[in-house]
Amino acid sequence: MLKRKSVEDVVVDVVIYLVLSVILFATLYPFYYLLITSFNSGKDTLLGGSYLWPSSFTLENYAMFFSRPEWLTALFVSVGRTIIGAVSGVLFTCLVAYGLSHKDLMFKKFYFVVIIFAMYFSGGLIPYYVVLRSLGLLDTFGVYIIPSLLNTFFLLIAISFFREIPQELKESAYIDGANEFTVFYKIVLPVSKPLLATMSLFIGVGQWNSWVDSAYFVTSDSLRTLTYRMIEIINRSRVPQDAIAHAAGSGVTSYSLQVTAMVVSVVPILCVYPFLQKYFVQGIMLGSVKE
Amino acid sequence: MRTNTVVKNIIKPNQSLGWKRFTKQKYLHFFVWVGMLFLLVFAYTPMFGILMAFKNYSITTGISGIFTSEWVGLKYFKEFYNDYRFYDIVRNTLALSFLKVIFTFPVPILFAIMLNEVKNMAFKRFVQTASYLPHFISWVVVLGLAFTFLSSDVGLINKLLVSLGLAEKSIPFLTGSSYFWGLAISTAVWKEAGWWAIIFLASIAGISPTLYEAAQIDGAGRLARIWHITLPGIKGTVVVVLILTIGSILGGGLIGSNFDQAYLFGNVSNNSTSEIVQTYAFKMGLAQGRYSYAAAIDLFQSVISVILIFSANYLAKKTSGQGLF
Repeated sequence: MLKRKSVEDVVVDVVIYLVLSVILFATLYPFYYLLITSFNSGKDTLLGGSYLWPSSFTLENYAMFFSRPEWLTALFVSVGRTIIGAVSGVLFTCLVAYGLSHKDLMFKKFYFVVIIFAMYFSGGLIPYYVVLRSLGLLDTFGVYIIPSLLNTFFLLIAISFFREIPQELKESAYIDGANEFTVFYKIVLPVSKPLLATMSLFIGVGQWNSWVDSAYFVTSDSLRTLTYRMIEIINRSRVPQDAIAHAAGSGVTSYSLQVTAMVVSVVPILCVYPFLQKYFVQGIMLGSVKE
Repeated sequence: MRTNTVVKNIIKPNQSLGWKRFTKQKYLHFFVWVGMLFLLVFAYTPMFGILMAFKNYSITTGISGIFTSEWVGLKYFKEFYNDYRFYDIVRNTLALSFLKVIFTFPVPILFAIMLNEVKNMAFKRFVQTASYLPHFISWVVVLGLAFTFLSSDVGLINKLLVSLGLAEKSIPFLTGSSYFWGLAISTAVWKEAGWWAIIFLASIAGISPTLYEAAQIDGAGRLARIWHITLPGIKGTVVVVLILTIGSILGGGLIGSNFDQAYLFGNVSNNSTSEIVQTYAFKMGLAQGRYSYAAAIDLFQSVISVILIFSANYLAKKTSGQGLF
């Protein structure tokens, strides 16, 4: 259509591009500022003035971050729980989903009621804590992994995904004498790779970001995560004197160390997050309108 | 649903052979039972644990203590009701929940509509992808960012306001009790609006382009097309998301995380507006070891939540014919 743009068109366009540019800036600049601050000398940052690039470039903050045992341990624990939590969570959730995906499974209705009831109602934090305590999970690495083995959101998505797998694929395996476990392992999982990828990233990001369990369910220093250490240092740099008086002789301040930790925490997410929106819309619809 | 009845007719004659069918599915049932066992331990046992709200429970007695400890009836509920902070806490919970839904619910819809109007695909995709980055960032990092931009001493926004002469001295965004609700709403919008826009964008993408062409030929301008085609087109999705939001409103709606915000952004100075039922229960229980009292406080909120879920569901069924369950 070779129509000239009307005044309305132009006005709408200008307003939209303006608003979206502001949104874009407000979303990305905070991350950019973190990045330049982490490469700027902590003392220089306190004087202010570096908003576009580090005015006093240094790697000191990172050197300090990666030489402190408490940060290294925290990083190790966070990476560990992310990887182990994602792998175990995906396998466990998929196994249960595979069982439930059979259309003529007996007691299917009952199983679904049990799951959906558990999705909507919970006993609350205190009884949950009592359960963790009774199982001896408090102050163990297991408290990060075991209680999050089953992800009900992805359980529903996986069930609907597995239902779409052509029956013939499985039939041929049954004829060859394979049992359900073999079929799950050798056929269902390999054809579900896109689902598995999204799921593990999603669960992994959840593990990486989680903070309540590290703050309250563990007490040993060796089990604290990166998120916990960040809360700790943020609360410490709230006291201005402390933000300045950190590590005599170097340019690193408590504040610059905090910003460095934040960058370390954000960068892995930055690398994977665009892949995480898959299945989201479908999942919401599954969660809202059940059969 | 014709296929369903066909399947039923095929299965019916076999139903008498229930045991045989069951043994044939034994692996499947094993898989499912593993999941059921998990839910029994981590979802249903805590539900029974709610009993401790009506009992004098001591943590040293473990799970069995929940059942064997002595009944005290509504003692802890009365205590919460008479707590000098009861009014503040309930007010904060309700204010935070409702304000957050009112202000955060329309933002993703508006954002999605604006994005949809952008004709430059590269710009559109870039803005959209950037906009949901914050969703995947931990609330802890958001706390750190808030500190970086809003704190009284190093906060960039405060420095800017002072240097532009818009404020005489730093505004205590993070510590002033009158700023907490605004802080919670704006950080929630910043973090989650882009993410929830995805679902509305998907819904807009489902609207037939011929409708827009027809409207254009009829002389409808941009705004008229948004108003008469886009908005009615996404109404169904908006209703579904709104129901889900209202069902979880006390947790902060789908935007979520009243707890994370109240806990992480709450401090001694803004305590009078930042303490909510969940954080109070948390502190009473895990910090002070008053488990029965904390469970009672928690249950108080759960009861209100359940009422809200059922009313939202009822309303949904009445208005749009579809519900959550």
